[in-house]
Amino acid sequence: MNRNIIISFILIAVGVLVFSSVSKDVSTYASFKDAENGERVKIVGQLSKDKPMEYDPQNKPNEFSFFMKDDKGVETKVVLSKPKPQDFEMSEQIVVTGVLSDGVFEANEILMKCPSKYKDEEIAIRNQEG
Amino acid sequence: MNEVKYIGEHLWVGQIGHFLIITAFVAAVISAISYFISVQSKVNTSEDGWSKIGRNAYFVHGFSVLTIIGLIFYAMYHHMYEYSYVFDHVSPDLPLKYILSAFWEGQEGSFMLWMFWHIILGFILIKKSGKLEAPLLFTFAVAEAILMTMLLGIHIPWGEETIKIGSNPTTLLRQMNEAPIFANADYLSLIKGRGMNPLLQNYWMTIHPPTLFLGFASTIVPFAYAFAGLWQNEHKDWLKPAFGWSLFSAGILGTGILMGSLWAYVALSFGGYWAWDPVENASLVPWITLVAGLHVHLIAKNTGYGTRSVYFYYLISFVLILYSTFLTRSGVLGDTSAHAFTEMGLEWQLIILVGFFFVAGMGFWAYRWKSIPSPAKEEPLYAREFWMFIGSLILLFSAILITGSTSLPVYNKILTFFDPGYVGKVIKDVIPHFNKYQLWIAVFVSILSSKAIFLRYHGVNWEQKKNKFALKMLILLGASIVLTYITTFWIKLYSWQYVVMCITGYFAVIANIDYVVSVLKWNVKLASSAIAHFGFGMMVIGILASGLNQKSISSNPFVFKGMFTDEDIEKYVQLIKGKPLFSQGYFITYESDTLIGQERRYSINFKKLNDSLRVLDEITLHPNAVYSNDFSKVAAYNPDTKHYIHKDIFTCVVGLPPALESVEKAHAIEDSLKFVARQVAINDTVVMGNFIIKPLSVNFKPTNLDYNKNIHDTGIGVLLEVTDIKNDTSYQVESAIGLDGALMYSYPAAIDELGVRIKLEESLLNAYFTPEEQLEYKEYVMKIGSNINIDGYKISLAEFDKNPTHKNYKKEEGDIAIGAKLNIEGNGVIDTSTSLYIIRNNQPMSIKNYSGTTGLHIRFSNIDPAKEEFTFKIARDKRESPELNLGIATDVPRTDYLILQATIFPGINLFWLGSILMMVGLFIASWLRFSKND
Repeated sequence: MNRNIIISFILIAVGVLVFSSVSKDVSTYASFKDAENGERVKIVGQLSKDKPMEYDPQNKPNEFSFFMKDDKGVETKVVLSKPKPQDFEMSEQIVVTGVLSDGVFEANEILMKCPSKYKDEEIAIRNQEG
Repeated sequence: MNEVKYIGEHLWVGQIGHFLIITAFVAAVISAISYFISVQSKVNTSEDGWSKIGRNAYFVHGFSVLTIIGLIFYAMYHHMYEYSYVFDHVSPDLPLKYILSAFWEGQEGSFMLWMFWHIILGFILIKKSGKLEAPLLFTFAVAEAILMTMLLGIHIPWGEETIKIGSNPTTLLRQMNEAPIFANADYLSLIKGRGMNPLLQNYWMTIHPPTLFLGFASTIVPFAYAFAGLWQNEHKDWLKPAFGWSLFSAGILGTGILMGSLWAYVALSFGGYWAWDPVENASLVPWITLVAGLHVHLIAKNTGYGTRSVYFYYLISFVLILYSTFLTRSGVLGDTSAHAFTEMGLEWQLIILVGFFFVAGMGFWAYRWKSIPSPAKEEPLYAREFWMFIGSLILLFSAILITGSTSLPVYNKILTFFDPGYVGKVIKDVIPHFNKYQLWIAVFVSILSSKAIFLRYHGVNWEQKKNKFALKMLILLGASIVLTYITTFWIKLYSWQYVVMCITGYFAVIANIDYVVSVLKWNVKLASSAIAHFGFGMMVIGILASGLNQKSISSNPFVFKGMFTDEDIEKYVQLIKGKPLFSQGYFITYESDTLIGQERRYSINFKKLNDSLRVLDEITLHPNAVYSNDFSKVAAYNPDTKHYIHKDIFTCVVGLPPALESVEKAHAIEDSLKFVARQVAINDTVVMGNFIIKPLSVNFKPTNLDYNKNIHDTGIGVLLEVTDIKNDTSYQVESAIGLDGALMYSYPAAIDELGVRIKLEESLLNAYFTPEEQLEYKEYVMKIGSNINIDGYKISLAEFDKNPTHKNYKKEEGDIAIGAKLNIEGNGVIDTSTSLYIIRNNQPMSIKNYSGTTGLHIRFSNIDPAKEEFTFKIARDKRESPELNLGIATDVPRTDYLILQATIFPGINLFWLGSILMMVGLFIASWLRFSKND
């Protein structure tokens, strides 16, 4: 029995250690204001459709910039180090991961929530000719 | 309100389907109750009355579900779009080979696939399990009854809201949606199905789901055995028959997961085989606990230790499968997963499904805890079972870590429920987070899976063997370190953690080889565990090679240094058609692209050069872009991979010029171009900014690539020479116009390098093609063989055709039609023209033929049979050579490039081979158990 107690003790110790270090990997969804301290954060928000989106695949295929409004309503320019994602304009919600520097949010990861392409379509009416 | 009488619906399919769904549900409930009474009555034979009722009810349930599946296939096969499920997943253009995939694309279909496997497994157990039938099948029947509720489709009004129980796959489209179209009785003739997502239209979608769902379904077997053991307080009897099933379940579930990761790697643009995505994790975790369960199962069978753990692992594995179903189908994962989800509104039903089996399983386990046998004496430190037990704890630890992190969205949901102001938590960098911890799991598992096999149960003869054992371990460790050192010449290991991982990976590889050679003496029948453990070690090395050392060969010359990390910049590159790019020792050239059906297929050439610029290796890869079903935009990019033995070269197009990506963008770009009108005569020049444009010649057989001569009556092309003053380069391009009846199509000349586009203005047509009313026809009488001369063209009457065809002629009953074939030669042109003379209802008529290249309009107007003379009316376009009207646009975005990701994955075959060997080991072991039992 002694050994089992030792094993469980070790496991609990390792568990506590791991879980306390896991907390460093975790963050809340931040806002642009929270990002001002220069930490790497994840921000949820919406695309500002009235502001310009810039993507020049010819010269800078890995740089796409747009404006995004976070959940607190703060709007900031985001520069993504990736090609412009497909159906970007249709996104309902955007999650970007990156760092704020000099008022520009430099993101290298993006996730979009899009209205499902195949579910929300109108019932397709066949062409008159077809 | 008027009832609309709809036309063309096949209501019987839905009526039978609905009836069978209720039958299947009720039968499963009856089966569960009957088996329950049978077990409680402790008759314990398979021939008692309640068992018989239970079995028959299970058969009724099974055949009902099979028939429902058949009906839905029938409706899909016949494209019955009145059914919502058919409408959502089938379209007229869906190839028949994807009809299976279309069936399980939706949630309802995949639930039925899952039930299908439960039913098959249940049938086998009814036949094979003897007196355990009643308790085992009770679990099956309960699971089936709960799964069946997912298909019930009952809506219960509850105050203001409606509680939805299940989603019936035989619901009519017009019952699901309210739309004005359903006011039309003939609405069916107006609609066509949405069809399958083009991303899923490949053979992976045909083989991956059935395998994975067989894996899911098979985990109920160990659960049912464990539950039966607890229920009957018989903790030994079930261990033997269950073992083969557990091995099979782990093998097939693992195979399903591997197929998914292979799919992601070779056919989807994920750019890797594992991304710690919640969906991947959710099915990996039950596999890990099942494998942990297998190991304690072996201990329990051989030594009597650890029976309590066996129960725990088997019970929790099935519950975790249900939990994965909840995670992936309830929509709770939201934005943490790259996979697409459709919500069915069945969250609560899924929670009940998970909760029920969790509480029933774990509750019973706790209740029986005291009566489960557990030897009082501790196992010795040098006994095999002790280290296997530690190994299973490490696997459990791995499972807890993965589940813990993957479930973050679930905690967020729960906490938000109690505190609406709660801000959810999320993992910042998913892949490093998981890798960091699972690395150590891999290290410990590698060590244990090689060390423990040399130990013996109960530590028999330890005193005599311990020195030999220690020596062997030392030699193996030394050899592993040497092998790791050698490996560093091939791949980089970056940090000490990876060095340790690599050493332990080799340790597992060679220790298991040694075990087969020195202990088993090549007795392959006993080697299943060694094969699986060897595979694990190999997989570990494969992960280090392919994951840690993957290298982008697409690097970007247009870099903003310091802005992003190097890794990000180097991932994607722009390739211009025909312009080789040198990167990482490769010349990469985008050679061409062709449109095949819905796919635009690219040819990307890679040439590997050595220092003296000799070509060492040359390959061409064909990644593609798939357009959506209506061709309006790119729906997906599919990669292409060259597999070598020691590495893979993976390529995927990640972006195209906007004009090629979607019709909408193409129109927007077209509209934004500013064409400047210029008049210029042939061989004269016009200057636009840095460009000199000079029309060289006019021809009537355009060679412009986009011009399709099969659809046009005639066309005109102007060959242009464009010179760029700045770079002193000139290009020859053709701008064309095509005519199809009254429709005009413009095919501008485009020079992507200069951003120039030149189109021909419509007025050009009038200069070259004279309208019918302005033509001046003259009559010519000809005989066979005779010829005439018009404007330098020699025209001779060659022959007649009794069955002539002509674009503008549709044959009718009673027509007499004669075609006259004329040969035209002159001014460097050879052409033939067939004009028609037709007698319809005693009325003669003629059908003109127009020769675009010569501008000749020829009518066959009369026949004189007596003299064998034939009259033609011929006119010719007034082809002056006036000034050409050109529209010239500059600064046009180029359309001849793509953005490419190209990655080398070294040693990826070690990963595949290793993981496949793990499954092979499991299957061999399972097969041996089953063949022994019979």
